[in-house]
Formats: sequence, C-alpha cells, structure tokens
Amino acid sequence: MAETTSSPTSASTAVRPSRPSRAPSPVGRRVRRAAVAIPVLLVCAFLVLPLLVVAISSFADRNSFAFPPSGVSLRWYGVVFSSDAWLAALASSGRLLLVVVPIVVVLGVLGGYAVGAGRFPGRQALAVVFLSPIMVPGVMLGLALLHQMQGLGLVGSNAGLVLAHLVVTLPFAIRVIAVSAAALDPRLVRAAQALGASPWRAFLTVTVPLLRPGIVAAGFLAAVISLGEVAVSVFVAGARSATAPVLIYSAVQVQLEPTIAAISTLMLLAAVVVIAVLDRTVRISRFV
Amino acid sequence: MTTAAPARTPAPARRWRPRALTGGRATGLIPAVVPAVFVVVAFLVPLAGLLVLSLRPTDSLNIPLDGFTLDQYRQVLTTPYLSGSLTESLSLAVRVSLTCLVLAFPVAWYLARTPSGWRKTVVFTITLSPLLTSEVVRSFGWRVVMSGEGPVNRTLQALGLIDASLPLLRSPWTVFLAVVHVLLPFAIIALTASLKGIDDAVLRASADLGAGAVRTFRSVVLPLATPGLVAGGVIVFSLAMGIYVTPLLVGGANQPLAGLRVRDEALVTFNQPRAAALSFVLLIVTLAVVGIATALSRLADRSNRG
Repeated sequence: MAETTSSPTSASTAVRPSRPSRAPSPVGRRVRRAAVAIPVLLVCAFLVLPLLVVAISSFADRNSFAFPPSGVSLRWYGVVFSSDAWLAALASSGRLLLVVVPIVVVLGVLGGYAVGAGRFPGRQALAVVFLSPIMVPGVMLGLALLHQMQGLGLVGSNAGLVLAHLVVTLPFAIRVIAVSAAALDPRLVRAAQALGASPWRAFLTVTVPLLRPGIVAAGFLAAVISLGEVAVSVFVAGARSATAPVLIYSAVQVQLEPTIAAISTLMLLAAVVVIAVLDRTVRISRFV
Repeated sequence: MTTAAPARTPAPARRWRPRALTGGRATGLIPAVVPAVFVVVAFLVPLAGLLVLSLRPTDSLNIPLDGFTLDQYRQVLTTPYLSGSLTESLSLAVRVSLTCLVLAFPVAWYLARTPSGWRKTVVFTITLSPLLTSEVVRSFGWRVVMSGEGPVNRTLQALGLIDASLPLLRSPWTVFLAVVHVLLPFAIIALTASLKGIDDAVLRASADLGAGAVRTFRSVVLPLATPGLVAGGVIVFSLAMGIYVTPLLVGGANQPLAGLRVRDEALVTFNQPRAAALSFVLLIVTLAVVGIATALSRLADRSNRG
C-alpha cells in the first residue's frame, strides 16, 4: 500500500513532467461527466424500482401481481380503510409514535448533550455504551427483550413495545443530538450563569434552544425508525399490539395480496414526505 | 448543581483559560445519568439475562433448567444445521458489503462533490427513502418484482429468453439482491461523509502532476476514502450478519442464515437457550471480523501516512 501510493506520483513527474492536463477538451469533459452520471442513475434506479413496483401494483384492479396491472383502481385502498385489522395496526403504530418520540427526544437530549458537549472522565466509554444497541443484531435484541419480558409478564403489552422501540431508536437520537451539542459554544452557557441563571435554567433556556435543529432531526429520525421497525417488534408484539409493519410481516408470509401493496405505498409516501421536508428544513444530511 | 461551584472560585484566571472553566471537570455528567440508567436497565440487563439463558441446560421439551453448561454452544458449533448457517451468513455478509461499497461509491462521490440543487435533492431523497421505508415494505417489493408474473419474469418472457416463469423467489441470488438493496443506503451515507473530506486541491495537484483519472482514483482518492470504506463496510457487514426479516420474506424460512435460525429456534421450535447461544456466537463472529477489519485499516492508514 505504502509503495503504490507514494512512488507512482514521483515516477510520473520524472517521466512526464509537463503534460498539459489542465483543460480537458469539451468531449473529454462530457465523457467524464457521463462516467459519473450513468452509475449514479443506475444505482438510483436499482434503489427506486422495487418501491415503484409496489406503488404501481397497489392500484391494480384485480387480485394479482401481474405486471403491469391490467387496469387501475383504488379498491385496495378501500379494503385497507375498511379493514379492522389494518386500521387497528395503523392506530397501534400511531399511538406508539406519540409515546416513543417525546420520551426518546428527552433521553436523547440528555445523553447527546453529555456525549457531545460533556467534559468528564469516561465520556468516550459512555458514548460506546449509548451506541452499543446498534451493534447488536435485531434478532438478538428481540430475543433478549422477549426473555426479560417473559419474566415480567410484559410480552404482548404496549409497555413492552414502547420499551423495545426506545432501545432501538435511542442510539440514533443520541448520535444526532451529540453532533449538534459538539458544535455548542460553551461561553453562551457561562454567560447565562454569570447573569444569574441556575445551571438547570441555563440548560433549558440556552442549551436546549441551541440544540433545536438536532432535536428536530432526532425526533423525525426516531419517528421514521419506529414506524418501520420489525425485527425487534416481532418478538415482543402481541396480537393486540401488532404495529403496521408487524402485520405486513405476517401477511406477506401467508399470502400476497394488493392490500399489502396499498398499505406499503401509504407508508412509503409518509417516508418520502418526511425526508424531503427534513432535508429542506434542518438539512438532515449534516447529521448522517 | 455541583458542576458550577468549582468554576466560580478562580475568578481572575477565567478570561485566560476558558476551556478549563466551562463547568469544571464534570460538565454533562448529571444529564447523562437518566439515559445511562435506561440503557443499563433496558439493554444491558436483558443482554446479560440472555447470556445466562444461553448457559442453561434444557429438558426434553426445551424448557430451560437450573444449572450451567456449555452444551448449547457445543450444539451450535457441531450441528451442521446451525454451524453451517454461521458460515453461510458470513459469506453473504462479505459479498453484500463488498457489493454495497462498489455500488455506493459513485453515488457518494456525486453527493459529496456536487453543489446543492434540485438534482442533488432528488438523488439524496432516492438514496435515503429506502432507508426510511420499513424493511418489510422493501422486502415485499422484491417479492413482487421477482414473483411469477412480476416485471422480471414478464420482461424475460417478452424478450423471448424464457418460456415459463422462473422460480426466482427461492433463489439465494434474489435474497442477496434484496439484502444489498436494504443495506446500500448505509454504505452511501458512510462513504459520502468521508468523501466530503477530500480537498479539491489534492485532486488538482494530482492532475497537475500528470496523473490520469484512473491513477488519481487509485493512488489519491482510494487511500483517502479508506476510512469511509471501512466504516461503511463495517456497518453493512454487521447488519447483514444478523438480518432475518428480508431473507424470510423474500426467500422463505428455509434460507440457511444465522439470523433466521435464531428466530426459528426462538419462535418456532421454542428452544430459547439454543437460540441465545447461537445469537452470542453470531455476535462474537461479527465483532471479531469488525475488529480485524478496523485494525487492518488502521495499519494501512499508518503506512500510507508514513
């Protein structure tokens, strides 16, 4: 590695010291631009096509996945909105979101501030502990939580599902907020304290408002992750508390029907709207 | 409350040593307590419980008994059904991470080096929307794409390449493709972050010294992108090692992958101690590979600089 990186440059300068490489011809530039654009387009097509196929099949008029569909209808959306099971699952996902996001934002602000702006021995170790749930496979986390909750009688309960989603989303929230917190100017907090604010008041009235972009991004990220979570939820969700993705998970294993495509399209739409809004408002690309 | 107290006493030095005075030696320690307690209670304790469970012997109905034994681990390592799934997962994860890095590079390059504009927003949304879409939705997409009357089979038939539909769904290659699709955004994110850090001046210098595009890529861009490649590879690899939802939904329950076997042992055959042991072996293998890859990249990085 070392030789290949250092020697060729010096060798080339010795052999061809004055090659006019400054201004490539228009044709050369166009070829070079295409060399970048074509792979980008292909990869984007690869990423989008399966999702597009789902969206198109959700408008099929018959109960089949023949592609392209023979006609267009909204009947599968009608089925979703008149089915108790799907509506219950959507409601369960929504309720979960309303509970999980506020809690994870509070925990994330505390943890992200400690990791990003804190100065104390063991900060790095704490950061590793906070992020460690990401390193554990979902199937393992699900099994661990299932085993623990069996002892406590929480399997299938809403509380168990909330706990599982908190564990899954917290590392992401902490990471995003820590990035914001690392850019904080400590002099502002000191100014507030010099003017007589208690540390707690300075935290609430100076630090938290300054962290707002990170907090918004963390909240949306947690919401989106919680909306789509399956791997862990499958272990701890009961029949009553099944979320929309868990219901899709079971339905796909039994039989494919365009109803699943319709509900998937609805979730897809929500994700695209969220991400476009996020990129425009808080420029989430900074955090990932 | 205690954090502010020591900062107040050495008032004269305050102006000159701001860093030391931002709140004493324990800024942020108090806020850390609540999330730390949560992570211990909701994550580390269940994980420890799983470790204990994996050391339990079982009776004939797979009910865990008291006592400690390494029998579950012996079973995991000697039963081909289980140990084979580990090597199969390892092979899938290696193939998936290499493929993801190759596919992610051009997109990350574009995202990192193009000024903002609507085109970039579109590419950014496209690359991230799969990440923010549930894994079940994306897997379901591949089910539809690869089904008997799906677009792939229809296209091949229209081109006259095949007569009857191919059974694409059970193929391990379909699973591979779907897993690449699910994990590719992670590689793109990690690579974009590292490619952003490459200075344009370095690339211009390389061109001025006579290096062509290929040589600049090989001896300037690639070494500088190594940290991002390793970071992206590590993320994709660890996620691929434990993946089970996508293989299950796309390829069915018979796919020989470790994540699926853990799920089967836990939820189908109800042998939780064995599932626990298998998941710990899976975690250890994953962490070992990640550790080796990180160490190697540090070495390479050091010799690049030296």
